[in-house]
Amino acid sequence: MGNLPLLKIEGLEASIDDTMILKGINLEILPGEVHAVMGRNGSGKSTTAHVLMGHPDYEVVNGSVQLNGEDLLEMEAFERARAGVFLSFQYPHSVPGLQVGNFLRRSVSAIRGEEAAKGAEFRNLLKEGMEQLGLDRSFLSRYVNDGFSGGEKKRFEILQMMLIKPKLAILDETDSGLDIDGIRTVAQGVDAAIRGSNSGALIITHYNRILEHVKPDKIHVLIDGKIVKSGGPELANKLEEKGYDWVEQEVMDNE
Amino acid sequence: MSSSYLVHAITDKAAHIWRYTSWKKAHPTGSIEDIPESNSPEISISLVDGKSIPEGISIDEATDLDIERLGHELDFDNGTAAPKFISAVVPKVYKFSIKDKLKIESPLLVKITTTGDICTVRLLIDIGNQVEAEIITIIEGDAKWTGILREGKYGANSIVNDVVTQITGSRLLRCDALSLGRDAQVKAGTVNASSSQAKIDIRHWLSEPGSSLKVNGSILSSNQDHLDSHIEITHTGRETHSRLEWHSACGGKSNTTGTGMLRIDAGAKGADAGQLFHNLLLSKKAKANSIPELEVLESEVVGCGHGTANGPLDEQQLFYLSTRGFDEHQARAALIAAFLNTPLSDMGSQQLHGWLIERIENHLNTI
Repeated sequence: MGNLPLLKIEGLEASIDDTMILKGINLEILPGEVHAVMGRNGSGKSTTAHVLMGHPDYEVVNGSVQLNGEDLLEMEAFERARAGVFLSFQYPHSVPGLQVGNFLRRSVSAIRGEEAAKGAEFRNLLKEGMEQLGLDRSFLSRYVNDGFSGGEKKRFEILQMMLIKPKLAILDETDSGLDIDGIRTVAQGVDAAIRGSNSGALIITHYNRILEHVKPDKIHVLIDGKIVKSGGPELANKLEEKGYDWVEQEVMDNE
Repeated sequence: MSSSYLVHAITDKAAHIWRYTSWKKAHPTGSIEDIPESNSPEISISLVDGKSIPEGISIDEATDLDIERLGHELDFDNGTAAPKFISAVVPKVYKFSIKDKLKIESPLLVKITTTGDICTVRLLIDIGNQVEAEIITIIEGDAKWTGILREGKYGANSIVNDVVTQITGSRLLRCDALSLGRDAQVKAGTVNASSSQAKIDIRHWLSEPGSSLKVNGSILSSNQDHLDSHIEITHTGRETHSRLEWHSACGGKSNTTGTGMLRIDAGAKGADAGQLFHNLLLSKKAKANSIPELEVLESEVVGCGHGTANGPLDEQQLFYLSTRGFDEHQARAALIAAFLNTPLSDMGSQQLHGWLIERIENHLNTI
């Protein structure tokens, strides 16, 4: 792969209902790296995640997004998933009537191929993942996200990530609604899926709690649809301690 | 028999039961005074697990005494034309019985294979006291018009899951009239996918104290299908319980109707009843009507409610599945199957459910 970025975003601008949300995002993630995007409510964090995944409600006005050199914006959402993009939703949707076990098998089959969704390897991976995430076997016969607690929903998203083995995992506020044990478990899941591989992750969060466990390579601060500051893990601690006002002040001073 | 039908042949088009599909339209020839020749279907019974049928289960020709004991055809009020018609044209009347206290481990398949232009059967159902059984009645075959009249009783303290399926076929008239014995617990399921025209009239009576009934429907209509289901549940016994959940997924230019009537008679103290119709509209030209009605003549009831919900496939659910690799066709099929599966999964055991869902999914892949 050399130095080819796993994900390369250049000048990404996107709107919803004629309201511009993303106003020129630039970001590069190399294979094996974990990046975090932090920002206040309404800064465009979740929009970034949804635009990368191809949500039809958002319109990309300008810019480009490449995954391993492939134009992601040309792809439908299911094609992006099959190309290796995974979004862990902040609020995963429930699908009453669709059983978890059936859903996982079909999803893995669609993304990794039929062979990956059957046989002992799949069963073992599923069993290990469920044990690691503290999910009971009866979970498989429940309906997708139907009646799940907040923590169960987030653990289920991570279980899917572990089975799908994406190239790029986007975690949209996966830590919200989780207790400290849950955050630790999720962090272990991210580490297991990303570290030492050619995959990468983009963690979107309000807080640095999850980042204390995942240890991102880079932190980006998003304000009003733009990445205004990037830095190492120490940036998360500073944001936790001082909030975002000082970053905004810096931006104003530089304008 | 034929003269008995002709007395009821002229129906009240304004009556709930005939408002959306007239008797003339449901009648096989369209001439309501016509009493045509009919074939009799082949009927066989087997167990889903392939094992041999236990003693105490039988299908035989019914006697006049059986008809007198188990027949309910006169209880259809404004809908009487349909069961009277089937009674008038059937070549044979059968009795399906399970003896008292029999517990059947595997679901029982009752296969009704139809042939010819018109094929009818009158099936008397005699489920004994304290029976535990799951019954799947499959209507299949190539008859252009099929008429089925199922009448009878579930015995006292029996636990029965009774599902009727028609997943392939053409025109169907089905009338059910079944009563529940004391403390009987019955789940009555209907699965209909791809009848070009169906008039389904299902009636249950909770006449004895403590009986409990769940009526579930999974209906899939496509092309220009016209499916009309009428479900009536009458509580006359004390402390009786019923729930109706009817899901219809409506595609193409199909027209689907569900009418429900929950009736709580005076004296049915402690009755608890509810009905819910859900319609999933899969195309702009599909039509769905749901008309739940209540008639409560007793003041001391636990509850009696009804509701309907209509809508298209959920865009957010479609997006969620697409982010998990499902293309548009796969995502739509999965959501339709999930919608139909909700009442299916409540029709019986995992084995019964697995049998049903496999057939529904296979059918979805063909349309």
